[in-house]
Amino acid sequence: MKNKAYIFSWIAQLIAVVIMGQTLFFKFTGHPETIAIFEEKLNMPGGQYVIGIAELIACILLLIPTSVAYGALLGAGLMTGAIIGHITHIGWEGNHLTLGIMAIITLVSCISVLIIRRSELPFIKSALKEQ
Amino acid sequence: MIGKLSIDLHKLAKFTNLAIPILAILFFVAGLKVSFYFHFLTVTFLFLTIINFFYLKVQTTHSVLRNFGVLGQGRYMLESIGPELRQYLFANDTEEKPFNRTERAEVYRKAKNIDSASSFGSQFEFDSSEIKIRHSMFPISKDKLIPYRLTFGEERGVANSYTITKPFMISAMSYGALGERAVRSFARGAKMAGIPMNTGEGGYPKYHLDEGCDLIFQMGTAKFGVRNEDGTLNDDKLQELAQKDSIKMVEIKFSQGAKPGKGGLLPKEKITDEIAELRGVPKDRDVISPSSHAECKDIESTVAFIDHVQKATELPVGIKLCVGRPQQFEELVLEMKRQNVFPDWITVDGAEGGTGAAPKAFIDRVGMPLFPALKSVNDILAKNEVRNRLKLLASGKLVAPGRQMVAFCLGADAIYSARGFMLSLGCIQALQCGNNTCPVGITTHDPVLQHGINIDAKAPRIANYVHNLEHDLEELLASAGCRSVKELTFDHLFVPSESTLYPFIQSN
Ligand SMILES: Cc1cc2nc3c(=O)[nH]c(=O)nc-3n(C[C@H](O)[C@H](O)[C@H](O)COP(=O)(O)O)c2cc1C
Ligand code: SF4
Repeated sequence: MKNKAYIFSWIAQLIAVVIMGQTLFFKFTGHPETIAIFEEKLNMPGGQYVIGIAELIACILLLIPTSVAYGALLGAGLMTGAIIGHITHIGWEGNHLTLGIMAIITLVSCISVLIIRRSELPFIKSALKEQ
Repeated sequence: MIGKLSIDLHKLAKFTNLAIPILAILFFVAGLKVSFYFHFLTVTFLFLTIINFFYLKVQTTHSVLRNFGVLGQGRYMLESIGPELRQYLFANDTEEKPFNRTERAEVYRKAKNIDSASSFGSQFEFDSSEIKIRHSMFPISKDKLIPYRLTFGEERGVANSYTITKPFMISAMSYGALGERAVRSFARGAKMAGIPMNTGEGGYPKYHLDEGCDLIFQMGTAKFGVRNEDGTLNDDKLQELAQKDSIKMVEIKFSQGAKPGKGGLLPKEKITDEIAELRGVPKDRDVISPSSHAECKDIESTVAFIDHVQKATELPVGIKLCVGRPQQFEELVLEMKRQNVFPDWITVDGAEGGTGAAPKAFIDRVGMPLFPALKSVNDILAKNEVRNRLKLLASGKLVAPGRQMVAFCLGADAIYSARGFMLSLGCIQALQCGNNTCPVGITTHDPVLQHGINIDAKAPRIANYVHNLEHDLEELLASAGCRSVKELTFDHLFVPSESTLYPFIQSN
């Protein structure tokens, strides 16, 4: 049972890493569409680097066995932000729809990881301790 | 002063729990209107809101979190870095009072059923005043132990004698000192554990009876629940209670260790309409019980009163007292012999005993500590050849197996504890039992604070605690080479010269 949960967790981790990872390429190379989103829609010039670095950290943490839960937490936070962005500023038309759905999939993956590995989070661990 | 602080803490927690979602919304608006960067904060507070909801509404195992939410988490955070902080900055593990961290941790572990093996070595002092138990070079195997059984009332041949099969009982704590949920948790836990619970001097035991565990009805000096207007005993009311199935025995309280020579005290903060009704007292001032029973003016009338209650209830009847002068106790025993009236048991409460509320000077300075008191009582009974006429119970910080063994060696037949069970229920020793502000909801009537206790989640902890105490006791007995607690004697103790028991070594 426990093992199955961990296999599931690793699958979810990989999904999150692949989705976040491939967008990094566009973010760090300054792809015009990415820049358009960050500068025009979100009004955060250079924001692609801030978010990109945070996502890179999340990906790395998600791959190191001892820090998976932290990576999932960071990833979930970033994706919640991304989804807020889609709802309030970016919208869901055309290519934006694909990006938005990717964010949702990543969020779901990260939350699954968090639920499976909830006992690895600091502080929450002591609070969750059954009995 | 301390009371104020805690009310503020509770308000602060309420404020925080409200502020977190509001901040999440505010930051969301700021992210919308000012800069998208605000959404970093939006997301953070959104997550905090979710965690907080989980703590407050979903989980049931942690009272502090149920009542305080993420702010209560501060306690767990501090606890996790506590050993370091304490070691370098504050008190060490064996310094806190009344129960140091080592003692409390042992109870918590037993209640939560966590293995309590520890490593490397003891934190106690070895060269000074600690009493130790002498083991045998030839420990016996645990299957040689004789199962524990103690029958109250057998000496008098009471028809309704009562037998316990575990040497632990929940000591008197009144509904009044305790809140409803705490009473129910104790009672339900006692039932699960198969031990009896003392009702305390809180009057008619309404919630205790609801839960259906075995009860020892306590009659305090004010006789709440069974009194006439003038404070004397109302036989009819007592008989009516004694006929209830759950009520197995009656304990007459003469005094208690935390306030010997003084009556009970219930601060007016803690008097609700219901408590006023169950006790038959006014609501608007502290309820102070008289310091002695109206019927007991001297030793002769005291013994006669015991006889009267035994005849009226037809149940085993014991007395509870804290010893002041052993000589005075001996006079009482001589009078019992003269009238040939013996209580079915005597509870010796040590001066270190706990209380919901008592004057500080009494808590700190009045009465003999348990060990010398218990030893004196046992010796006096033996000297007068009446030790076999009654049972001896002991209470006073007997929350862990070590001190319990000492009490058995000094003559106790069974152990009473109040605070051991409170700790099992999650008491964090905040020492606010008298202010109605207990942060974990045990000694309070505030429904908001009581919400911290989930009865179904907490009752098993009482049972776990009893079960693990029993286990440790068996191991200790086997190591001492004794088959039952009856075989333990004073000789099983190693008593250093600094100890309060040392004079007894010399006189033996
Ligand atoms: C909250 C609280 C309420 C108590 N109420 C009573 C009481 O009503 N009658 C009584 O005789 N003793 C009362 N006691 C004293 C206990 O029954 C017991 O004698 C004492 O606390 C020693 O046991 P302990 O060290 O295991 O707590 C109370 C103790 C506490 C902590
Ligand atoms: S937590 Fe504090 S106030 Fe509550 S029962 Fe324990 S000592 Fe008393």
